[in-house]
Amino acid sequence: MSNTAVSTKSTWAGGKSPFKVSYGKLMMWFFLLSDAFTFSSLLVGYGAVRFAFPSVDETEMAKLREELPFGTDITEAYPAHVADGHAAHGEAAEADAHAHGNSFVETMQEKGLFDENHWPAPELVFNHFPGHHKHWPLMFVSLMTLILILSSVTMVLAVEAGQRMDKKKVELFMILTIIGGFMFLGCQAWEWTKFIGEGARLYANPFGPVTFAALFFLVTGFHGFHVLSGVVINIIIYINVVRGTYEKRGHYEMVEKTGLYWHFVDLVWVFVFTFFYLI
Amino acid sequence: MAHHNTPVDIHDEENYDPTVWVPKAHSHGTKGLWKTFWILLILTILDVVFYFKMDPSMNRNILFIALGVVKAAFIVYSFMHLTFEHKSLKMSIVLPMLFVVYLIAFLLTEADYLNGLIW
Repeated sequence: MSNTAVSTKSTWAGGKSPFKVSYGKLMMWFFLLSDAFTFSSLLVGYGAVRFAFPSVDETEMAKLREELPFGTDITEAYPAHVADGHAAHGEAAEADAHAHGNSFVETMQEKGLFDENHWPAPELVFNHFPGHHKHWPLMFVSLMTLILILSSVTMVLAVEAGQRMDKKKVELFMILTIIGGFMFLGCQAWEWTKFIGEGARLYANPFGPVTFAALFFLVTGFHGFHVLSGVVINIIIYINVVRGTYEKRGHYEMVEKTGLYWHFVDLVWVFVFTFFYLI
Repeated sequence: MAHHNTPVDIHDEENYDPTVWVPKAHSHGTKGLWKTFWILLILTILDVVFYFKMDPSMNRNILFIALGVVKAAFIVYSFMHLTFEHKSLKMSIVLPMLFVVYLIAFLLTEADYLNGLIW
């Protein structure tokens, strides 16, 4: 390309960036735009399936909320009755009673609150918290959201330190971001383990419509894989920061680019949280 | 192209080489970033409060999605620095998202049809 008479060139005539960003950063933005379409398709598809099913009966739910206040011990309130064959609804429910020592899922099935033709209330599906068997609806997923938002803050602080060429601060905030990423992945692994342990599969769902479990694994799995690859990319960038690659290059734009990806993963989680745990 | 025996000024707009050119970075401070963090935290807490205090309805779902869009806007404009980018980049990223509105409109209609098939 020619460099003559650069200053007289119009915006789109070549010889300069019409977007006033580097090539790499522009391509990262366009990739994220395409990825946003992918997640939009998944979540809007989920919304369509959700909308096709009616919710469970609200008067029954109101009664249950009276009977099951926040903090109720599930094991005490719904003791296991494994020997009682007729109460179990299918293999999954029996497996649940064996594995968890309670009959919560079975009882909800009997009350008609977990039914294959009605969408379950998320507060009954996602009510576990590590360390105890109390009914803590939506608290664990709120904690996961907090972890991801905090790791977004440390990421953006690393980007800001990079803009000031502060190598030590970039190292510190990158490592905090990586730790936050691992914490989130650990939480998700725990939640999947719990959900699978209670009988949820791609092809089976003791809590309600099968598509609910299938889409849960598909979408949170797709998002979780984004988090995993984000952590891997962050580790690679962190090693480069420590080795002084960007110090030598004269700018920390790679930290900014991986930061864009990391914030996008946080953005997607905002909608996964909204669609799967609230709606 | 710059000659190899002279050091390349990677920030020089008059000597644009797309393989290395990068605008000079400057910090916008951390105050706005922490503000965004508190806004995201408060909106997430509001989500949970609305979930337990409001009866399930389409209006509540729309409220949740609206809160999600507000949170997403804060992440994109503050954390991803889109507010500091050139207008051409802002428009290239934000305007195509309007296609998602079409997708929602079409699939809500389809879901209504699916609902009719099931029931």
